Amino acid sequence: MTSSLSRLTRLAALGATLLLTIGALALPATAQEKPRTGGILTWFDYGDPGRLDVHAESPLVVQQATAGVYSGLLHYDPDEPSKVVGDLAERWTVSPDGKTYTFHLRKGVKWHDGQPFSSADVKASFDRVLNPDFKSPKCGASLKPMVASVEAVDATTVEFKLKFAAAPFLPSIASAWCRVAAKHILTKYGDLNAPEAQIGTGPFKFKKYERSSVIEWEKNPNYFIPGLPYLDGVKQFILVGGPTQLAAAKASKIMLWDVWPPMRKTQADELARARNDVDIYQAPINTLFLVFLNAKKPPFDNPDLRRAVNLALDRQELVAKALEGAGVPCAILDPKLVGDFALPLDEVAKAPGCRQPKEQDLAEAKKLVEKHHPNGLDIEVAVRQVGNYVDRAQLIVAQLRKIGIRGTLKTHESAAGYAAFGKGDFTIIATQDRAMDISEPSAIFHIAYTTQAGSNYGQYSDPKVDELADRALKESNRERRKQLYWELQRYLLAKGDHASIAVGWVEGWFFKDKKLRGYKPGLTVYDNNTFMKAWIAQ
Amino acid sequence: MREGRVKSVLARFVTGQPLGAAGAVVVLALIAVAALAPGLAPHGPKEATFAPYLAPSREFPMGTDQLGRDLLSRVIWGARLSLYVGVVSVVFGITLGALWGAVTGYLGGVADAGSQRVVDSLMALPPIILALSLMAALGQSVDNVILALVILLTPTAARTIRAVALGVAGTPFIEAAQAAGASRTRIIFRHLIPNCMASYIVLVTTNISYAIVVEASLSFIGAGAPPDEPSWGGMLTAGIQALETAPWMVFFPGLAISLAVFGLNLLGDSIRDLTDPRLRGGLG
Repeated sequence: MTSSLSRLTRLAALGATLLLTIGALALPATAQEKPRTGGILTWFDYGDPGRLDVHAESPLVVQQATAGVYSGLLHYDPDEPSKVVGDLAERWTVSPDGKTYTFHLRKGVKWHDGQPFSSADVKASFDRVLNPDFKSPKCGASLKPMVASVEAVDATTVEFKLKFAAAPFLPSIASAWCRVAAKHILTKYGDLNAPEAQIGTGPFKFKKYERSSVIEWEKNPNYFIPGLPYLDGVKQFILVGGPTQLAAAKASKIMLWDVWPPMRKTQADELARARNDVDIYQAPINTLFLVFLNAKKPPFDNPDLRRAVNLALDRQELVAKALEGAGVPCAILDPKLVGDFALPLDEVAKAPGCRQPKEQDLAEAKKLVEKHHPNGLDIEVAVRQVGNYVDRAQLIVAQLRKIGIRGTLKTHESAAGYAAFGKGDFTIIATQDRAMDISEPSAIFHIAYTTQAGSNYGQYSDPKVDELADRALKESNRERRKQLYWELQRYLLAKGDHASIAVGWVEGWFFKDKKLRGYKPGLTVYDNNTFMKAWIAQ
Repeated sequence: MREGRVKSVLARFVTGQPLGAAGAVVVLALIAVAALAPGLAPHGPKEATFAPYLAPSREFPMGTDQLGRDLLSRVIWGARLSLYVGVVSVVFGITLGALWGAVTGYLGGVADAGSQRVVDSLMALPPIILALSLMAALGQSVDNVILALVILLTPTAARTIRAVALGVAGTPFIEAAQAAGASRTRIIFRHLIPNCMASYIVLVTTNISYAIVVEASLSFIGAGAPPDEPSWGGMLTAGIQALETAPWMVFFPGLAISLAVFGLNLLGDSIRDLTDPRLRGGLG
């Protein structure tokens, strides 16, 4: 009894000490520090976006370039990035059958050009992305399977009717790609590509776009949340290539690196030696490193050759060398990001193509290649010149050479690469990271694996994949949903002839200037890039 | 008798042109490394089977790169690539330019004036910008680097050889050939061009190092040889991404470029001295 009391006392004392310590640590950031207004936040885009239409494009740089200019109906809470909260919608209700969502909009919101915002703008935006003839690889690709119609009930109420009760609906509406654009701007310009068309309701106004140089935003003094934003503006330098990005970071030209591509360990070490005014951290980036084969063109219209590539790729080596060990090899879903919806990693590690040592898979792959091409074959290997893609591609070319596939690298400038891949103008894309739009298990299948997936570059179609993905999307029981996703992952890993091959989930190193406050990394690389609550301490 | 003569010429070259002799040694070493690359390199240049960023050691005398490839093997194979690009582009580019300059210079008139304006236009563009534009249009490959270099070198050679040809064309033996009724073709190929050969040889030797530097520069900025080819310039690009972590990735390819260019320049200068009648030191 005495012993239990003493133990309880010790536990209480420990608890009190911990609470005091946490309280003391929390104080500087909350009670003691009042957000400071003013200052310009600097960070970077990995490439030049070229076009700026957030509804029609898919590169991260497009979303980054316009993130703070627009608002969504919902968004992820900048203070608590896993929580969906209202943005232009003050509140929302769901019908008992889960198929009708009614959003009640804020009143008195104005567009950056002074025009009033209304439900007509919401309807125009979502009608645009849901139009079957409009290619919307992000917002449209995720909403089209779920949403039947959008109606403006009155000036401040919008109703979404769903085809079925869908768990990913709210996270998808909150996605940073589902921004609300002005109806009068869409009418005037026809699209949102031009800098002049960047009229939003967000915390910042679009100020300047110098091609291949810089994108600037300035504070929106009429932002609908009084007192925000704290910053006077945001400056995004367009920095192409790892050495340029690292040099800018080392020279204190940028205050934040929380964006793709992440730093590799060697880069983070160099930065740590150069600057002591930054916090460097390692984190996942909710992005899958994929290889795409063109299933519509020889030689990869042949399932045997797709299977051979799947068997030959050494994911563990690719993660170890190209990502310097920061990544989760082989997984189609990463347990760190979607919990138990992901197939257990020890099961994934036994799948063909993933299992180690590689000898058995390589021998089988070689036989498959020799069956159709006794003297091996020569192919062109496409790669965009961004991040460390070229390094990754060289490793992949070296791995494929072991089974008689001799690759020649063809490099593309970033936007030109996307254009070529979108048209199916490639044989194999050696590497292409696909970032999730929402932190939800359905995301990756609707980005890379289903027939209608936004990044199904290989144009592969498997009715069973579509059916399982669709059933999982519609399933409301969590356990049954998990089983469906497990079945889908097992099917893809066992069949091994899909044109989208998962190499691994990307992790990396990032940094934040110690003076930067009020900023938390989002769950996906696209979220929380508006900087609406960010501020710079003195 | 002939052996003795060769030895004597070599001895006079070494004593008369010691720097040129040093350059010749470097160039011969470069040729030997390039020719024997498959036997000399301990590993394949694209074989990424080792740990990345290994510092120079007995097993890997130049260390390994970011993908775990043996840098020594890549530098050795890089000599073959550099020399191949340098020699082929210069031989084709200078030969084409020399023929162009000699023929149009001798013909004169509209052909000469017109072709010289073309040369002016090509020479007005900064060489690296012209090379970059050509690579952007042609696409990345070793053959296209050679083609870009040929286009870059041809006008320089045309301008230089034209000047030489104009001088030769005014000499009495050409006038004698004309008086004897020799055709233009015969005069150009039997009398004019052989008398421009000294300048041609100098142009070839001095421009190989230039071509190597241009190839390395193009590869350095990602517009030259495909990234997995063992190009010294491409190795430098990879190296600057880990300058502090793995300085050997920059040091050894940089050293290789410097040595090759140094050797070729020394040899080229000596050949120019030997063939220029206004300078002393000819082999007689």
